Amino acid sequence: MKKTLLTLFLLLSCASIVFAQNKVITGKVTDQKDGSPLPGVSVTVKGSPSIGGQTTISGTYSITVPATAKTLVFKYIGYKEANVTISGATADVQLESDPKQLSEVVVVGYGTQKRSSLTGSIATVTAKEIEGTPVTSIEQAIQGKAAGVFIQSNNGKLGQGIKISVRGTSSVSAGTQPLVVVDGIIINSTDISSTSAATDPLADINFNDVESVQILKDAAASAIYGARASNGVILITTKKGKAGTAKINFSAQYGNSKPSRHRKFLNTKQFLQIEERAGVGAATQDYLNQDPNDPIYGSLQEALDDYKGIVERRFTRLSAGSTNWTANDVDWEKQAYQNAPQQQYDLNLSGGSDKTTYFISGQALDQKGLVIGNAFKRYSGRLNLTTKMSTNFEVGMNVSFVHTFNDRLGNDNLFSTPMQIVALSPITPVIDPRTGLISGTPPGQSSNYPLYYNPLISIGNAYFHTNVYRTLGNVFAQWQILKKLSFRSEFGIDQTNQNEDSYYGSLTARDTGTPNGSGENSNTSVVQFTVNNYFTYKDVFAHDHTLDVTAGSSYQYYHFMFNDIQGMQFPSDAYKQIASAAVKSGGSSQQAEYSFVSYFARANYAFKGKYLLSLSARDDASSRFGTNNRYGFFPAGSVGWILSEESFLKDVTYLSNLKLKASYGLTGNADIGNYASLGLFSGDAGYNGLAGQRFFQIANPNLKWERTAQVDVGVDFGFFNNRLSGSFEYYRKNTRDLLLQVNIPQTLGIGSQTQNLGKLYNQGFELELSSDNLVGKFKWTTSFNAAYNKNVVTYLNGQVLGTNDLNRVIEGQQIGVFYGREFAGADPANGDALYYLNTKNSDGTVNRGKTNDFNAASDVVLGNPTPKYTGGITNTFNFKGFDLSFTWQGAFGNKIYNGGGQYMSSNASNGYDNQTLDQLNYWNKPGDITNVPEPRLFYANGTNASSRYLSDGSYVRLKTLTFGYTIPKLLLSKLGIDRARLFMNAYNLVLITKYKGWDPEVNADYQATNINLGVDFYSAPQPRTIVFGVNIGL
Amino acid sequence: MINNYHMKRFKTKYIAALGITLMLGACNKQLDLKPYQQIEQSQAIKTATDVQITLVGAYNRAGLSDLYGGGVFVYADLLATQQITDFQGTFQGLTQMTKQAIPNTDGFVNSVWADGYAVINQANNVLANLKLVNAADAARTEGEAKFLRGLVYFDLVRLFGRSYNDGDPAVNLGVPIVLTPTTVVNSAAQVSRATVSQVYAQAISDLTTAESKLPAAASGDFFANKASAAAILARLYLQKGDYTKAAIEADNVIKTGVFQLNSDYSDEFPYPGQVHVDNTDEDVFALQVTNQQGTNAFNTYYASSDNAGRGDIIIKQEFLDSFEPDDTRIGMYNEDSGGTLYTNKFDNVYGNAHVVRLAELYLIRAEANFRLGTAKGDTPANDLNKIRERAGLPDNNTPTLANILAERVHELAFEGGFFLHDAKRTKAKVNGLDYSSPRLVFPIPLREINANPKLVQNPGY
Repeated sequence: MKKTLLTLFLLLSCASIVFAQNKVITGKVTDQKDGSPLPGVSVTVKGSPSIGGQTTISGTYSITVPATAKTLVFKYIGYKEANVTISGATADVQLESDPKQLSEVVVVGYGTQKRSSLTGSIATVTAKEIEGTPVTSIEQAIQGKAAGVFIQSNNGKLGQGIKISVRGTSSVSAGTQPLVVVDGIIINSTDISSTSAATDPLADINFNDVESVQILKDAAASAIYGARASNGVILITTKKGKAGTAKINFSAQYGNSKPSRHRKFLNTKQFLQIEERAGVGAATQDYLNQDPNDPIYGSLQEALDDYKGIVERRFTRLSAGSTNWTANDVDWEKQAYQNAPQQQYDLNLSGGSDKTTYFISGQALDQKGLVIGNAFKRYSGRLNLTTKMSTNFEVGMNVSFVHTFNDRLGNDNLFSTPMQIVALSPITPVIDPRTGLISGTPPGQSSNYPLYYNPLISIGNAYFHTNVYRTLGNVFAQWQILKKLSFRSEFGIDQTNQNEDSYYGSLTARDTGTPNGSGENSNTSVVQFTVNNYFTYKDVFAHDHTLDVTAGSSYQYYHFMFNDIQGMQFPSDAYKQIASAAVKSGGSSQQAEYSFVSYFARANYAFKGKYLLSLSARDDASSRFGTNNRYGFFPAGSVGWILSEESFLKDVTYLSNLKLKASYGLTGNADIGNYASLGLFSGDAGYNGLAGQRFFQIANPNLKWERTAQVDVGVDFGFFNNRLSGSFEYYRKNTRDLLLQVNIPQTLGIGSQTQNLGKLYNQGFELELSSDNLVGKFKWTTSFNAAYNKNVVTYLNGQVLGTNDLNRVIEGQQIGVFYGREFAGADPANGDALYYLNTKNSDGTVNRGKTNDFNAASDVVLGNPTPKYTGGITNTFNFKGFDLSFTWQGAFGNKIYNGGGQYMSSNASNGYDNQTLDQLNYWNKPGDITNVPEPRLFYANGTNASSRYLSDGSYVRLKTLTFGYTIPKLLLSKLGIDRARLFMNAYNLVLITKYKGWDPEVNADYQATNINLGVDFYSAPQPRTIVFGVNIGL
Repeated sequence: MINNYHMKRFKTKYIAALGITLMLGACNKQLDLKPYQQIEQSQAIKTATDVQITLVGAYNRAGLSDLYGGGVFVYADLLATQQITDFQGTFQGLTQMTKQAIPNTDGFVNSVWADGYAVINQANNVLANLKLVNAADAARTEGEAKFLRGLVYFDLVRLFGRSYNDGDPAVNLGVPIVLTPTTVVNSAAQVSRATVSQVYAQAISDLTTAESKLPAAASGDFFANKASAAAILARLYLQKGDYTKAAIEADNVIKTGVFQLNSDYSDEFPYPGQVHVDNTDEDVFALQVTNQQGTNAFNTYYASSDNAGRGDIIIKQEFLDSFEPDDTRIGMYNEDSGGTLYTNKFDNVYGNAHVVRLAELYLIRAEANFRLGTAKGDTPANDLNKIRERAGLPDNNTPTLANILAERVHELAFEGGFFLHDAKRTKAKVNGLDYSSPRLVFPIPLREINANPKLVQNPGY
C-alpha cells in the first residue's frame, strides 16, 4: 500500500502539482539531426534522479523542480546525455544521437542482447554508415567498415557477384559465403543467374531500409545457426517505426560514374612495329626449325619475305582494306565506356502510437554502368508494422517487395563483352569507311574484320535483360506468457521470380554463329519458407544472478524451379521473342529442393553483472547429407569478465570499460549440392533425337557437413568515458571433414566425388578502435578496423586441386594459391622465354637453372590471391551544419593474375591482339636484357600461364566520401520543413595501387569460385562515382 | 488455491506453445528429398529399356566435341599440318599442339582422356547389364557397346601411346584398360597403363566381337552396324601394319554393297543450310549432329565465322598447289567473305561428324593389297581409280605406294587425323620431327597422374 502511494505521489509530481518552494520548468526536446520531437525523454534534476519526468509525444515537458536545482539531465536511449543549466523557466534541448549507444542492444540469433553482456564476437554497421552510398548493394555499402569482413566485387558491372569472407575462407568446395538473415529469417543468398557469371542476390535489398547489420564472427555468436554458420552470419535488421508524430523523409541523389582506372595499350605506330617484328621472329623460327631434308624455305630471306607478306596483308585487312595503315589511331578502350548517370529517390514514412508502430518506405534507383550497355534499376517498397493486441500479445510483419532490372552484359570471357574490345587493333577504324557502318557490321566485311567480333555491334542489336521480383517478409506473434517467459513464432517467406530474356540479332552473327538471330528466355523461381518457434526466459534471482534462456526450433524448406527456352531463325530483328523463332533450338526445366530441421537453445548467465557465461547449441538435420550422417550437433560456450566493474578498477577514472572474453564452439557448413551424397544417372544424354541416360555422379552415403572448431579470445576496452574504445581479438578456426570435390581417376568415367576430406585453418587478429577526437562545436570522430588472416590448407591427402591457369589448392598453402611455372624473362642470347627449372636436385636443393622448355620447369608457389591484411578507417567531422565523412579501405599482401595476359601482353606471340604498352620493351637483338621475350607471331613465346602475369594486388582506396550541409532550421521553418541536408557522396574517389591493370578489386566473373581467386580477365574496372543529393524531413 | 490456478493456467499456455514447436517433429520425412533431373544409380538400370537408353547415352558421350564430335581427329592433325595450314585461333592449348609443345596441363588433351573413359564407362554399364536385354536385342546391344569401347581404346592408344611400329608395343605404355562399370571409388580405381599391344588387343577383341554380333549394314543406319566395326578394324589393322587383315576388313565393308561413293565429292559434305542432314550413302559411321544434340568440332575449328565456325585453321595455298590440276576436290577449299582460305568440308554446323566413310575403305584395301601384292576384293589400281574418277582425275593404272598415300591426303584431308596417324605408320617426318618423337604423343594429363599415382608419364612431359 505504501508503494502504491509512492507511485501515486510520483505520478502526481509528474502532473506538475506546484509546491511553494519549487519552480516549473518547461521546454521541448528535439533531435539535433532533423529537429523532430523526441517523446519519452527522461528529464531529471542533476543529483536528484528521482525528481523529474518525461517528454510527451510532441517532445514537450513540464516538470517541477526544487528552487535550488541548477542543472537538468536529459537522457534518451540512443542519444548522448545532455546537461543543461537552468536559467529561467524554459529549457529547449537538442539531443545528439550516439551511434555507440545505438549499438548498445545487439541483434543476435533469435533475440537481442546488451552489448555490454556480450561474450561473442559481433561486428556492427549502423544505418548511418551506409545510407546514401552510391552503390547497388548492401555489401558494397559496408565494405571496409567491419573488421575481419572482407568484401570484393568480381568486376565493375552492376549487380554482379560479390564475395564476402568473414575471417577468411573456410571451405574449398562447399559454400564460403556467410549465412544471411533478414529480420530473423534466413534468406536465399545463392546466386541464381543462369549464366556462368554470378549476380548478387542481395542487390534485391534496399539498404536504406536497413537499421543495422550485425556480423556474427565467432562460434559463440554464430553456433546457434549450426550447420550453416562456419562462414559467419550476417544479421540484417530493417528499420521500425517509433511511437511519436509521423515523420516523412525524402531524399534524392543524382550523379555519374567513370572507370576507376585505364590500362595503356599500343597506338598505331607501336602496334605496326611490334607486329612486324613478330613476323620477323616467326620467320626466323620457321627457318631455323624446318626439316633440313625437306626444307620449306631455301633461305632466311625467303621466310622473312613470306612473313612480311602475311603480316602486311593482315594490316591491310585490319585497316578496313586500306594500305594506308596509319590512317587510323583508335583508342578502343575508350569505346567500351559510356556516360553513366545514376539517380536515386527514397521516401520513408514512420511513426506510431504506443500500441502500433509503422515504417513505410519506397525507393526508385536507376543506375547506368560505366561499361556500354550495362544498367540497373531497383524499385522497392517496404512495410514494417507492429501492434500490441493486448498487454501481453504482439503481432507484426516486416515485408518488402522489390523489382530489380538488370541490363546485363556477357561474361568476361566473351568476345561480346565490352572490355574485350581492347583486343581490336588501333589501325582499325571505328566506322568502316567502305560501308559507313560500325566496323564488322554486316553486310560489310564481318567474318574476319575487325580482328574479333566488335562488341559495339551488340549495342542496339542484342540485349540480356534480367527482371527480378522478390518478396521478402515475415509475420510474427510474440506472446508474453508470463512476466519472465515469452514465446515467439515467426513465419518467413523469401520468394524470388526471375526472368532472363535475351536476344542476339542477325548483325551479331559473328559472335553467335547464328545468322538470323537467336534468343533465350528463362524463368527462375525460388521459394523459401521458414518457421521459427522459440521461448525466451529472462530472470534475475537472488539479486546477483541474471539468466536469459532461449530455446526453440526451426524448419526451413527451399524449392527452386527453372525453365528455359532457346530459339533461332527469326523472321527479322524486329521479332525478338521465342514465339517468332522458326527453330526452337533448346529448352529445359529443372527443380531442386532442400530442407533443414533444427532445434536450438542458448543460455546467457551473468553474476553480479561482471562474470558472464553463455552456452548455446543447435541440432541440425538436412536433406543434403547422406543417410548415414543426417544429424549434426553444434555446441558453443563462452565466458566474459568485465574487469572494469571490479572494485579494484572502479576507481581508475580513465577506464570506462574493460572486458575479457573467450569462446569456443563448433559450427558447420552445409552449402553443397542439394543431392551431393547420391549416386546419380542423368537423363540428358540423347542422341539424334533418341533419349538416353548417362552416369552423372558417384555416391557417397557417408557425406556430412564440414566442421569448424573455433576459438576466440578478446578484450573490449573503453577509456576516458568511452571517448576511446575498441576491441582486440584473436581467433583460430580449424575446419575438418572438408566437403571436397575430390579429383578421382577419370578412368572411372567421372572426374570427381564429393567427399569429407581435408583440413584447413584460418587464424588471425582483429582490431577495432573508435575515438571521439574532438567534441564540442567542432566534432571529429575516427573509427578504425584492421584484420590479419592466415589461411592454410593442412591436409588434402596429397592432392593438388584447381582447374584454371594458376589457382590451386595444395597442402601447406592458402586456398587458391598461385602455383605454376616461374617466369625468368627473355633469354638474352635468342629472345626465348625462359622459366626457372625449380626442380629438386639430388642433394635436396632447388635447381635455379633456366630453361626455354615450359614442360621441363616445375610448378612452384608464386603468391597468394587473398590479402593478408585488410582494414578501413573512417573519419567524420561535424562543424555547425557541415558534416564530412570518409572511409579509406585497403587490402594488402595479395597478387593478381592477369588471365588476359596471354593475349594482351604476349609480346605479339599469340596473334594480332593489341598489346599493352609494356610489351614494347621486347627482346630485339642478342644481348638485350628484358622480361619481354622476342615477338614471334603465333609462336606462343612466353605466353603460357606463369608468374609472368602475376602482379602485386595491394591497394588502398578512398571507398566513400560524404560531404553534407544541413540548412539551419530557421530558414526552413517557414517552408514547413523540419530538416534539409544537401550532400555529395563519392565512391572510389582515389585509388592507390601498384597494380598495372584496370582495378585491383577483381575476380573475373565467368570463372570465379572458392579456388579461382584474384584473376583479371578483361574485367570491367570499379566505378568512380560522385553523386549530389538532398535529404528533406517533414 | 490461487497458486494452483496460476499453475494450471501456466501449464495450459505452456503446453499449447510447446505443441506448436513439437509439430515440427513431423517434418523429419521432409529430409528425404530426391532430385528431379536425375535418378539414383541403383534405380537407373533395371529394365531392358534402361539398358538401351544407357547405350544411347554412350553415343551421346562419344559425340562430345573433344571426342568424335571432331576433337580427337582435329587435335591429331594440328600436330602434323603446320606446312599446309596456319593456326590462328586463340585457344592456347591448340596453338601449342601446332607447335608440337603440349603442356601436360592441356585442357583439350585432358578432355579427350576424360570423355573417352566416359564412353567406356557407359559401354561397361551396358555390357554389365546385358542379362536384362531381350534376347532379340542382346547381340546388337553387346555389339554396339563393344564397337564404341573398341573405337575409343583404339584412338586413346594412338594418341597417348607410342606408335605401334615404334619400338616394342609389348613394352611401350598405352592407356589403362577398364572393363567394368563404376560404382564406388576405392583403391581398385587406380589402374595402371596397359601396354600398347594390350590396348590394341582389347580394341581388336571389342571390334571383332562387335562385327560378329552387330546386324548387317542397312541404308539409313546411324547406330553402329557390322560394317562400322569392320571399317574401324580395317583402319586399326592398317595402323598396326597388319595388311592382310586390313584388306579383309576393308573388303568386308565394300562388299556389302550398301555403301556408294557419292557422285560428287562435295555431296559428302552437304550444306543445305544450318540443318541436320542424314548420313549419305558413303558414310559408314558418323556421329549425328542436330540442333538438339551433338557438336561438330570440325566446324568449330575449320569453318569460317561466315559458317558459325571460329575460323581458327586457315588453309595455305601450298596445300592447294599439291593437288593435280583437274582435281575437283579443290572445290572444297575457298576463300570466305573476308578473303581467307578455309576448307568448306565442315561448313554445316549441324552436319554429322564423320568417323569413317567408304572412300577410306577403298584406299585402305588398295594400300593393303599393294603392300601385300594381292588383290583381295579388287586390284589396287581399280580401287584407287574409283577415288580418282570421282575427283575428275585420269586413271592411274600403275600406282605406286606414294600415289596411294598422296590420294589419301587429297581425299581424306582434315577428316580423321590422318596427317599424324599416317605419318606415324609410314615413319614419315612430321614438320621436322621424327615420327617417333615424344612430342607427337599426348601427355598423360597431369591432373590424372595426381589422382592416380600408378600412371607413368610419357617421355618429355
